[in-house]
Amino acid sequence: MSTDFDAIVIGAGHNGLVAAGELARAGKRVCVVERADVPGGMARNVTSGDGVTAPQIAHLLYNLAPDISRTLGVETRSLPTIGLSPDGRHVLLQAGDLRFADGEAHPEAAVFAVLHDRLTRFAALLGQLSDAPPPKLMEGLAGALSGLRDIGGLAKLGLNLKRMGKAEMREFLRILLSNSYDVLLDELNDGPVAGVLAADAVRGAWSGPRSPGSVFSLIYRLGQGGDVRLPMGGMGAVMAALEKSAVDSGAALRYGSGVASVDIEGDRVTGVTLEDGSKVRGRAVLSSLGAAQTMLLAGPSHYDIETVRRLRNVRSKGTVGKLNLVLKAVPDIPGLTDAQRGARLVVAPSASYVEAAFNPVKYGELSAEPVLEVIIPTLTDPSLCDDGRHVMSVNCQFLPHVPKDGWTEAARGTAQNRIMATLGHYMPGLADHVLQAELLTPADIETLTGAPGGHWHHAELSIDQLLTVRPVNGLSRYAFGVQGYYLCGASAHPGGDVTGQPGRNAARQLLRDGVLS
Amino acid sequence: MSVAHVPLGLIPGPFHDRLLALSRTQNWVDWAGYLSPGVLDTAEFEYFAIRNQATLFDISPMHKYRITGPDSEAMLNRLVTRSVAKIGDGRVGYVMWCDEEGMLIDDGTLFRTTSQDFRLCCQEPMYSWLLDAAWGFDVEITDESHTVAGLSLQGPTSWSVLKDAGIDVSDLKPFDWREVEDGLWVSRTGFTGDLGYEIWVPWAGATDIWDRIWTAGRMWGLRAIGYEALHLARLEAGFIAAGLDFQPVHAAMRLHRGRTPIELGFGKMVHFDKGHFNGRRALLKQRETGPRFMLVKLDVGGFKPAQGALIYHRKRREVGHVTSGVWSPTAKRNIALAELKAPFGVTRTSDLWAEIYVNEEGRWNRRMVPVTIEDKPFFMNKRARATPPGAF
Amino acid sequence: MATTSYDAIIVGAGHNGLTTGCYLARAGLRTLIVEKNDWIGGAAVSRSLQDGWTYSNCSYVCSLLRREIVRDLELPRFGLQVIPYEGGATFTKDGDYFAYLSDHNALRREIARHSPRDVDAYDRFAQTVMRQCRFIRPFLLRNAPDPTSLHPRDLGELAFLVKKAHGLGAKELGETIRFWTMSIGDFLDEHFESDLIKAHLAGSGIIGTGLGVYSPGTAYVLLHHYMGDVDGTIGAWGFARGGMGAISNALGMSFEEAGGEIRKGAGIERFKVTAGKVTGVALENGDEFDAPIVASNMDIKRTFLHHVDRAEVPDDFHRAVERFKIRGSSAKINIALDAMPDIPAAPADASFLRGDMHCSTSLAELERGYDDWKAGRWSAEPYFDLLIPSQIDPTMAPPGKHMMTVFVQYAPYDLEVDGVRSGENWTDTHREALAHCVYDKMEQMMPDIRQRIVHAEVRTPLDIEREVGLTEGNIFQGELTFDQLLFNRPVPGYSDYTTPVSGLFMVGSSSHPGGGVMAAPGANAAREILRRNGKSKAMQGYAA
Repeated sequence: MSTDFDAIVIGAGHNGLVAAGELARAGKRVCVVERADVPGGMARNVTSGDGVTAPQIAHLLYNLAPDISRTLGVETRSLPTIGLSPDGRHVLLQAGDLRFADGEAHPEAAVFAVLHDRLTRFAALLGQLSDAPPPKLMEGLAGALSGLRDIGGLAKLGLNLKRMGKAEMREFLRILLSNSYDVLLDELNDGPVAGVLAADAVRGAWSGPRSPGSVFSLIYRLGQGGDVRLPMGGMGAVMAALEKSAVDSGAALRYGSGVASVDIEGDRVTGVTLEDGSKVRGRAVLSSLGAAQTMLLAGPSHYDIETVRRLRNVRSKGTVGKLNLVLKAVPDIPGLTDAQRGARLVVAPSASYVEAAFNPVKYGELSAEPVLEVIIPTLTDPSLCDDGRHVMSVNCQFLPHVPKDGWTEAARGTAQNRIMATLGHYMPGLADHVLQAELLTPADIETLTGAPGGHWHHAELSIDQLLTVRPVNGLSRYAFGVQGYYLCGASAHPGGDVTGQPGRNAARQLLRDGVLS
Repeated sequence: MSVAHVPLGLIPGPFHDRLLALSRTQNWVDWAGYLSPGVLDTAEFEYFAIRNQATLFDISPMHKYRITGPDSEAMLNRLVTRSVAKIGDGRVGYVMWCDEEGMLIDDGTLFRTTSQDFRLCCQEPMYSWLLDAAWGFDVEITDESHTVAGLSLQGPTSWSVLKDAGIDVSDLKPFDWREVEDGLWVSRTGFTGDLGYEIWVPWAGATDIWDRIWTAGRMWGLRAIGYEALHLARLEAGFIAAGLDFQPVHAAMRLHRGRTPIELGFGKMVHFDKGHFNGRRALLKQRETGPRFMLVKLDVGGFKPAQGALIYHRKRREVGHVTSGVWSPTAKRNIALAELKAPFGVTRTSDLWAEIYVNEEGRWNRRMVPVTIEDKPFFMNKRARATPPGAF
Repeated sequence: MATTSYDAIIVGAGHNGLTTGCYLARAGLRTLIVEKNDWIGGAAVSRSLQDGWTYSNCSYVCSLLRREIVRDLELPRFGLQVIPYEGGATFTKDGDYFAYLSDHNALRREIARHSPRDVDAYDRFAQTVMRQCRFIRPFLLRNAPDPTSLHPRDLGELAFLVKKAHGLGAKELGETIRFWTMSIGDFLDEHFESDLIKAHLAGSGIIGTGLGVYSPGTAYVLLHHYMGDVDGTIGAWGFARGGMGAISNALGMSFEEAGGEIRKGAGIERFKVTAGKVTGVALENGDEFDAPIVASNMDIKRTFLHHVDRAEVPDDFHRAVERFKIRGSSAKINIALDAMPDIPAAPADASFLRGDMHCSTSLAELERGYDDWKAGRWSAEPYFDLLIPSQIDPTMAPPGKHMMTVFVQYAPYDLEVDGVRSGENWTDTHREALAHCVYDKMEQMMPDIRQRIVHAEVRTPLDIEREVGLTEGNIFQGELTFDQLLFNRPVPGYSDYTTPVSGLFMVGSSSHPGGGVMAAPGANAAREILRRNGKSKAMQGYAA
């Protein structure tokens, strides 16, 4: 059979590019097809006409797989985290270290260090599961029958569990299924320290810290040690490097036209038809789109009815909006030094605050007082703008994917006003510094990137959508029903954030499955 | 607001007034919530009317759905195991549909008007499953279960009855159907293996067609019948019944109680070459690994019905059980459907025995009788297929 | 002060304590149960607070009580009669209702009245839930498998789990994992389109918990309410004739007939512990009793934070007990009625009025009720589970008059007043205001309810804690969240009913498999106690 390519990758988001690079390096002929003219998906830069570059949506690396990160050659800087407190006694967190922003010792420093240490250890344990496809349930059970240790097939995990000791192992199993509100407040006061951790636990999620399972998402975020890194040149630079890496290994790029359909003959993919009508033939197709979109490209008739039902039921209601501000100058932040303004600033004065901010989104309403994650990348990275102006990049939670009455101008205005008002508590006079403001709602993010629901992780990272049931029961090992069709996006295991792991795992699985041999 | 409280218990169907007038036994059974006659007179007379004259059976409690729209054929092709494209316009096909594991959800008859207009008639409620199946297809699903009434007219004189009722279906071949009058559809289908028709009319005012057929039937020995007589006839014809010969998998509480079409002896109804359909990948796997069970037709030795009997190999090893077993008054044989555990019924088909318990005036007797696997239905008659049919 | 010795002492005559007592006494142990109240039963009591009426003051309906235990302990011989009730209903504001009819055909018609699509969807829902029930039921009378243990006994439990799970097949196992971890709201949203039907079914996912309908894990809570049975009908609920006290009384009589002794009005001061080993109990009245085996039917917080010397347990354990979550989330109103209230929406004498009635009509309304609770308020529009058992049980009220039991959710234990949250904040004024909030909502279906009330007993979480001894008035002796179930219940490493204090056992609902009038923790604990004292064989019956 003569084909144009061994594999076609749909979508030049980070997972698509990682998958393409992985396959190209294995000597396969790969083509990346992207609807937009530029790569990046959720991790693009946006450049205004007058010389300001800003991270359009994602703005920090929490969790990029180290082996992927190492090969890219993009300089990144670690940012400390500062939890802003309404009383001006902001807290500074860096790895396990906690102090007040003014340098004074924090009374919870010791407790925090222990908690941080435990969570990162658990995260490292869990992180091992991210590097491989999720365990097969039945194989796991067969193994369990002989070994009687590894329920759910967590064989590798099980080994390490044994090493960590019984008490620690029990604590791990307990905490993993718990909720972050309780786990945090069992140790900490309900102030900005707990607030920052609670906010990190639900960042990108349709859940509050009290939701069972939210410890898992906190630990997930700590998978690579919890270091928060700012890429020099913005997230776009990371994407450019990923793209370059793929191209250098021989991958072809075809941007500017999306995929209209995946072509199938006899339950086997043969390529894709683009929106411009042209066809690209390939023996395998990997999709980095959402799981349901991936099914739709092939057509529901190629899937069992139950599978389609499961895919329709994947929960992916985005809750994060993005406010990008261009400032004529960086405002003062009382309680912080000028340099500290370059940190990751989190507005989440308590875990209860985060929970209260989550409440309205359940009813399609906006948080009265949103949870914010703010960075001013231009303080660290002048390459984004060097004329004295600054960029402020704000992740805002919780915004409904679509409010009850839609994203009307009034609703957008209300959202922006609430974010500005909340920021204003900590940055008096901020409004006077603003030259431009652009608010991206979850619906906007969906339109821009195709991410289902505008959801950061394409599919909620809740326990019932993880591992063997991610994205849905029966399709967890990247192979996506039709022979040669693979899911390589964030809705595949292990999940969202800029990690590259779903893309890499999917590519490796494709090679293992022998479709291309 | 005023609320229309729903009635409890069983409710009358569209022909209930007529059935009530004919019932000498007041023997009603629950069929999908409707009062359905178990027996109206005696099961024996009703049965012989099926094989000797003509009979009317109210099949309105069947679930009926209409599928319309441009993607109807594609949607149904993905639903059922056989190729819907091969069912001609104006034809009816016996179809089966499976869950993702290839387990039978239900079987039924699919009536094709055109590639964009079908009706599906089955035993189990299927509305939400059809809606799920229709997702992503440009089709509309209408539940006609309570708006279309059905009558099954079966027996050697059924063509004559229709003719005298002024309904000419001489040219209707087996599995043909058409609208013979405005709002009156007739299909040459049935559940008895004999000559017969099914008549479909709007639910409201359905008694008109009953009266018309009943009047015409006086000269042809027409009787109304209940479920028990039909049960005998359907088993003679080798038809399987949901809940008896297979457990519809959506209604099965215990896992692994579902059965695939292959295991029910309908492997030929699975068209692997038509593209994807629900359960195809699982059934392909089973085609390679072989079935776990096999439902077979049995000729049972002796004269005692084998209902519920266990089947043994060499009188020792238990290998299955009878799912339906009766004495056939027409074939004069003791017949049954039985489920055997593979390889029995597949490659090992001899030296099989049924263990039958007979209670004779307070004393239980256990009998081991030989059984033989049959390929063909126990009842077959050329009159069932003749077109035009004979008068009797 | 004279000391008397026993083979075993049980603190608390709740249904689990009594159950443990029965099995121990039947195994030949000289067993004493001490109870702080002047009556037995804990939260399974029938009390008369108004002449002529009997209230099931706390728990009010019966399904979870394991049939094996009923049979082993011969409870019917001691007067226990459980009568199933039919259906239930949710009433809307505009005079309509959804009736959860027990007649399946009629239920399908009723669902079709609200949504034709939801008719088959209901069957699918019921099928899924039943399958999960069938999966979980065999585990209730076994110890929880502990995946961290290498002990042969734990491995045996684990093997049992693996065997059961293996029987499901890969796809079904995946569905099981999802079901156990998802929210009841998401689960219902996947099945139904009618808000009213969803709201009716969702109640079982939140009753007694500090969770909302959209909190992951609440699908399991629903299962917890469906996994019982009446006479083999899984998911059915019934009334104990004479109120829930009939269960406790039957257990008490069974216990006494087996030679056990109950002392009422005997509250515990402390568990006596010497060198890490329990030696007996000291009561508030100064009495002391010795026994090498002591079991606590109190929840684990009450046991270890109030009645065991802090120095006797390791720090880790103490810390784990402190953070064990037992949250008060529900109140109870018991009402004596001078006549059956008028229910204009329903047909006269409808069968579904003999079941559980509700007025919450959407998942959002239920979830908002939870948001109120999180903030330390009772729900502005509370969910309630309301029954009038006197329609079926003639012993509950004078002829022609009725007894109504109203379980109310959510009501916080730590009520917020002026920015301070504390159980101590509850006053009579709050109690009254809560009751009126509930009556306002009840008027949705019973416009004349206020005129029918002869007497009402309003029990806040604080009241339940004070009278029954349940921490925060939590009906399950501990949240049923997955971090507190199975091998994690009550404390990781101690799911086998033992404690760090040798000879001291936990037999209440804090232990696996959890709360509800199930008696499984009590029976499981008895089995464990006997096994650890070399008397495995002495445990007789279906729960052995």
